[in-house]
Amino acid sequence: MSNRRSRQSSSTLRISDDQMIDLVSKLRLLLPEIRERRRSDKVSASKVLQETCNYIRKLHREVDNLSDRLSQLLDSVDEDSQEAAVIRSLLM
Amino acid sequence: MASADKPINTDVPEKDVFALHFLQSLSNLRRQNAFNSPDDTTNNRVKKIKKAAYVSMARAAGGTNRLWSRALLRRAAKENNKVVIFSRRKKRVTWLRRSNRRDPVDAERLRNLLPGGGAMETSKLMEETAHYIKCLSMQVKVMQCLVDGLSAK
Repeated sequence: MSNRRSRQSSSTLRISDDQMIDLVSKLRLLLPEIRERRRSDKVSASKVLQETCNYIRKLHREVDNLSDRLSQLLDSVDEDSQEAAVIRSLLM
Repeated sequence: MASADKPINTDVPEKDVFALHFLQSLSNLRRQNAFNSPDDTTNNRVKKIKKAAYVSMARAAGGTNRLWSRALLRRAAKENNKVVIFSRRKKRVTWLRRSNRRDPVDAERLRNLLPGGGAMETSKLMEETAHYIKCLSMQVKVMQCLVDGLSAK
């Protein structure tokens, strides 16, 4: 009972090196910190992982902050105000 | 064992997909009168919005197609005491968690941050992380736009 996927992941504990490199480089491109450091092409995988964790934590914090502000703002939106109309039209 | 070297897809939908899902979640909250009940503290309101953000992001980004979104939706449903049944497309190799102990500390930390990360094999973890980051930043952009739109007078 092993379809190709589970066979691949259970017997080869890592994907091919090329795919790994490709993924890590994709991750690197997503991280603003590392993107700015153009001179060094060699960023250790450990550094990438660290920056990834930091970036995810930062995004989580931003979601928290924005949720906070939204809760205040949505509270004060009158039913008849322009904003409510805009939002309503977006939802139709 | 030549694993096919196909490019791994980490595309995410357009911003308006996220926006639509989020706005719908917010409108549902409104309909349930979540904002107006007197025993609803500010904290509760914020929590509800935050949850709506994550759930709508998971739905917009791939619903049951991604391990992280499945884990997120499952967690959210558990909080609502709902029983969630996902169709099992692949056999989940959770026993791999033991063999992942040789992961460096950084990968462990990443597993803790990513929904459902603990059960993923390392390479899958990378792929899911990339997708998760893209979706999160999209969601943040949507929320920022909404805040800007609502605060501009």
